[in-house]
Amino acid sequence: MREVVVISGKGGTGKTSLSASFSYIEGANAVVCDCDVDAANMHLLLGANFNNQSDFYSGEISVIDPEMCTNCGECFDVCRFDAITQEEDTHIVDPISCEGCHYCFQVCPHEAITMVTQKAGDVYISDIKQGGKMAHAKLGFAAENSGKLVAKVKSEAKMLALKEDKGFVITDGSPGIGCPVISSLSGANLVVLVTEATVSGLHDLKRVYELTKTFNLKCVCIINKYDLNQVITTKIEDFLLKEKVPVVAKLPYDETFTKALAIAQPIVEFDNSSELSQTIIKTWDKIKQIINEEQK
Amino acid sequence: MKIVFTTKGTTWDSQMDPRFGRAETFLIYDEEADTLETVVNSETEAMDHGVGPQTTKKVLGLGANVIITGNGAGQKALEVLKSFDAKMYVGAGDMTVEEAYEAYKANKLQLQF
Repeated sequence: MREVVVISGKGGTGKTSLSASFSYIEGANAVVCDCDVDAANMHLLLGANFNNQSDFYSGEISVIDPEMCTNCGECFDVCRFDAITQEEDTHIVDPISCEGCHYCFQVCPHEAITMVTQKAGDVYISDIKQGGKMAHAKLGFAAENSGKLVAKVKSEAKMLALKEDKGFVITDGSPGIGCPVISSLSGANLVVLVTEATVSGLHDLKRVYELTKTFNLKCVCIINKYDLNQVITTKIEDFLLKEKVPVVAKLPYDETFTKALAIAQPIVEFDNSSELSQTIIKTWDKIKQIINEEQK
Repeated sequence: MKIVFTTKGTTWDSQMDPRFGRAETFLIYDEEADTLETVVNSETEAMDHGVGPQTTKKVLGLGANVIITGNGAGQKALEVLKSFDAKMYVGAGDMTVEEAYEAYKANKLQLQF
């Protein structure tokens, strides 16, 4: 079992459209893993059925016991997040505003405050339309994605892939370079960097590439919308050449991306015979070839 | 020499865990005493953020001279590790602990810093 992680640094480069297409091509031989939990949307493209749910706990919030609270107001004074309000002689914590920093818990002279672990969301194992399964998650209100949640989704996907003897785990990462991205990279066999011909596309590609270098991960790159700005595309190619990162595809700006999204289909399902779909199919073949060479 | 492996189990046959921060288990091999000790890295599983520095603190606390792992440590953990006299070897993510030890002995693993 080999794990491919698709990341981009910048959001909106076509990362999810491409990873959904790769998953669709690979069919039942891949377990799909959506680690972009802040804006999970891959389940829409792959027709996930949410049939196996489990709770996910993360972070803490403070809770005031009204029996023990004397309304001294010390917690109210120290809270940096304005999460504590005074209502009709009682103090109440607003769970949406509370960041779980423990400050009130530390200062309360009457031990009326306890820290309670929060349910942050749900983790799902779903059947998807091309056969096979996907692991994904849904966050609750005001909950944030974290390295912990990504690690959980990934371990579910990997366990499933090992149990059912699948060839691939295809992971859709989140934008940025923070904790969830680091967690989505851990243990990857190959990283697919998706960038676009814009100033921020190049800038964020460099940042996220630095991150993959720290972890000694093998990378390949897809330049999407390369025809938007030829000057920047050349800069991207120069950078990749210098860093010895192979470019596995250059895709033109194509409205098929949005048309396919609008009816919730991966591009290769929406219009299999188009030139774009054929390029994506060839790209996935190239990626698989590189993984096989790496394994030797 | 004390060697710490990031692993998914407790024996020489166990698979290595390619992750450093969220590694499941640490196996500590004391070359002089020829003893193998297990430390489960369970605390980090409950942590949302910042596992790198916490794991580093733990591993250095175990008295590691050499750390053998898969992908290596992230930026923050590296900063700390560099200031101590410990060496980190990477590229052993797909091996068993025994294979990783042999590869280290044969100088086949890459030094992360």
